[in-house]
Amino acid sequence: MLDLEPARPVDRGPTDRPVARLHDLRVSLSRNSRRTEVVRGVDLEIGRGEIVGVVGQSGSGKSVMSLALMGLLPASALPQVSGAVEVDGVDMATAPEAARRRVRRLDLGVVFQDPMTSLNPTMRIGRQVAEAAGSPAEAIRLLRAVGIPQPEQRYGAYPHELSGGLRQRVMIAIAIAGDPALIIADEPTTALDVTVQAQVLRVLAGLRDELGCSILMITHDLGVAAQIADRIAVMYAGEVVEEGPALGVLEAPQHPYTRGLLRARLSLETERGRPLHTGLTDAGALDPDAGTDARAPSGTEPATAVEEAVVERTTVSAPARSEAILRLTEVRCEFAVRDARGRRATLAALRGVTLDVQEGESLALVGESGSGKSTLLRAVAGLETRYTGTIDGPPRSDVQMVFQDAGASLTPWLSTEALLLERLRGRDLSRVERRERVREALDRVGLPETTLAAKPSELSGGQRQRVALARATIVPPRILLCDEPTSALDVSLAANVLNLIHDLRRQMGMTVLFVTHDLAVARIVSDRLAVMYLGRLVETGPVEKVIAEPAHPYTRALVAAVPGARRELPVIVGEPASPMAPPTGCAFHPRCPVMQDECPSTLEGIQLVEIGPRADVEARQHRVACVLRGEF
Amino acid sequence: MSSVAGEQLAGVPVAPGADPTPTTSVPGVPGASGVPLARRRGFPAGVPGARLLTGRLPSLVMIAVLVLLTALALLAPVLVPYDPVQPVGVPYAPVGDPQHLLGTDMIGRDLLSRTLLGMRTSWLLALVVVAVGLVVGGVVGVAAGAFGGVVDSVLMRVTDMFLALPSMLVAVAVAAALGPGLTNTFLAISVVWWPYYARIVRGEVRSLAVRPHVEAARMAGAGQLRVMTRHLVPGVVPTAVITASLDIGAVVLTLASLSFLGLGQPAPAPELGADTSRGMSELLAHWWIPVVPGLAVMLLSLVANLGGDAVRNLMARRG
Repeated sequence: MLDLEPARPVDRGPTDRPVARLHDLRVSLSRNSRRTEVVRGVDLEIGRGEIVGVVGQSGSGKSVMSLALMGLLPASALPQVSGAVEVDGVDMATAPEAARRRVRRLDLGVVFQDPMTSLNPTMRIGRQVAEAAGSPAEAIRLLRAVGIPQPEQRYGAYPHELSGGLRQRVMIAIAIAGDPALIIADEPTTALDVTVQAQVLRVLAGLRDELGCSILMITHDLGVAAQIADRIAVMYAGEVVEEGPALGVLEAPQHPYTRGLLRARLSLETERGRPLHTGLTDAGALDPDAGTDARAPSGTEPATAVEEAVVERTTVSAPARSEAILRLTEVRCEFAVRDARGRRATLAALRGVTLDVQEGESLALVGESGSGKSTLLRAVAGLETRYTGTIDGPPRSDVQMVFQDAGASLTPWLSTEALLLERLRGRDLSRVERRERVREALDRVGLPETTLAAKPSELSGGQRQRVALARATIVPPRILLCDEPTSALDVSLAANVLNLIHDLRRQMGMTVLFVTHDLAVARIVSDRLAVMYLGRLVETGPVEKVIAEPAHPYTRALVAAVPGARRELPVIVGEPASPMAPPTGCAFHPRCPVMQDECPSTLEGIQLVEIGPRADVEARQHRVACVLRGEF
Repeated sequence: MSSVAGEQLAGVPVAPGADPTPTTSVPGVPGASGVPLARRRGFPAGVPGARLLTGRLPSLVMIAVLVLLTALALLAPVLVPYDPVQPVGVPYAPVGDPQHLLGTDMIGRDLLSRTLLGMRTSWLLALVVVAVGLVVGGVVGVAAGAFGGVVDSVLMRVTDMFLALPSMLVAVAVAAALGPGLTNTFLAISVVWWPYYARIVRGEVRSLAVRPHVEAARMAGAGQLRVMTRHLVPGVVPTAVITASLDIGAVVLTLASLSFLGLGQPAPAPELGADTSRGMSELLAHWWIPVVPGLAVMLLSLVANLGGDAVRNLMARRG
């Protein structure tokens, strides 16, 4: 394991010459015979041993910039590059291919977002690392350096046999082979769970201290950049609009776009009582035509939810008295699957979940991948029927769902109007009434009528999620299920959608069940939080209380793993165990920092029990499944 | 092929600069170039004139030829200069004869007329076989894919059974049992042709059926039938059409082979395969008698394949 001192630049010989230098870099790409300038005059220098975070939303040109830096712009897009992109003194746009290849081999290392697509699926990971490192022994050393446990055993594993976090570490091991001067990391943690993300960020920060290499960290998440970067460059529409020391940019942003981005970003300190800032409305100073294709449609997104009046957020509506609208009792769900080596296995997605949801309440289900939160939602939706136990709720037509990937949840060849009208079938409505209902639904989600004829591919990401919401609410449901509806959206769009869900809930008095892996989002949308780990609830309670005083060590780790500037990186080790072989007793015990002797076999430790004094109503709702009951 | 079409038609627009095509490059791994895999084919960008060859023009031309050929087939009875089954000139008139452009055969029948009508039979029959295969295979495939489970297993095992039959042998058997003739040839080929479409359509439906939009449609209250007709079938159409259009050439060839073996229409009906076969004995002395109908088969099959390619290219582009 690396020595994990707090990140600090390491002096590595002469620092006079930067590792990489971009000067007035302009890149234009051609797509469908239309030429767009994607990078529009970027000046950036990356010093030796420096971690530079490039932050921008999708379409900001940050990825194209990194491709230009590697000299790997796709030839099919007929790239035109002007200005300078130098790595180690070699211009990656104009130098001969041999020279550029030499730079890529010796000076650069790359970590992409999804290691599954960048690792060779047919090769054992050890050989892939050895190919870059030169020898098996060196490969094992590298695998150990990036924190892969038992590298000798993992050497012969194939990529699909590893978890996402381990795969990304393998990718990092390949990237650091040959001691590169600069590592380009393009959204390296976006596909990872939050606790694993924290671990990978630690590894990356550790590399710089250990090897003295520079890192160009490309991310959409200001928090991630803030966590490890020394310097942050904010990109918007192909330009660096602000650049400076990480803390300076975060605490005293100069550019309105950065300010908007910061305000739209959700953190555990975001004020809950008022609509979220949607950020980009503040960037009005920018040229509205400045954006690339991705940016353009968002300009047409009306900021419906931004009413300046402070909206009283409905708090838990006296749940002790009101009727439960949804009652889950001992819900278990198992699937017959094949494990990584093709053997038959049982995947226990839900292992006994008992939960009541009150009418009008908003409950957030939080957990990492494999926690069963999505399966639970699907069971409630009636999409998953292979469960035991009981789910008592309203009839299916009163339950609607919004999916994670709105684009994929809309039938690609049907227009918005067709999708909305479908929900009104079988109702005794005249043609005019139907039209009226469709128009109302669109109006509620703030979409212009011109979107009626549009197919999903013609809409922007935010618009698609609005269409999905309109479809779910055109006939008001009693329960609205949301499966990470904002995780694929840029911050400002996510804020818009969250505001919208809140408004809809208020207007229609819906009960909302919201699945998310992001505590900051959960805190905004919900009254009550339910934390899941490997198919069981480990903690439930009023959202503020759970986040402020997490009673389960896992919840505590989740809270700690939310990235941000000057945040203590969490100490939790390992990754969520496989639901195919959940640990006995309390499933969290192998990772638990406060594990007790009884934990591997405990039966009480997996029951939710109240903590705190009986008299306190608030505290009585706070329940935890842990042998320590929050006393640690 | 099907996946390419599927992805394209799913129509997920990638904003330029948002997510550039993932490249295969792995730093330090020799041999991994940065050129996106899907783009390696085709002309290098920037070659003058490349656009003319890679653009839509060639595809449109090919489709125009395809349409022209179909029109020719439909109008053949009106267009032919002579009665195809009666001797109308001297035997063995060579190609280029002023009266008979493509010459005459051993009993003096006009080869141009015979070939045109033979092409008509082959072409129209091929279209019908493919259309029938598409409909039958499509229905079976959609049912198997959409219902899954037992329905899927039963339908697919039946399909497998048909798929296991060697097409030529079945055709011979049918022709032997029912006697040679146009209807029987059609039956024989159709019996072995639809299972391919059933397989392809079923696979496509299964991959669509697990996509979120199908679940979303269920949540929206759509019934099984509606999910099938509105949310599954339209997604399969492009793949099916592309497969079918690429297939016409193969049917043309199979028909010609059957006819060559004497399993087509009985003489003296004009048929390309049979005419080639009967003329084989004249190959050395009067080459045009077997070569003209033989070339016609080649032309049909070539045009069909190029046309199919063109259809695929245009549909892929449209996504």
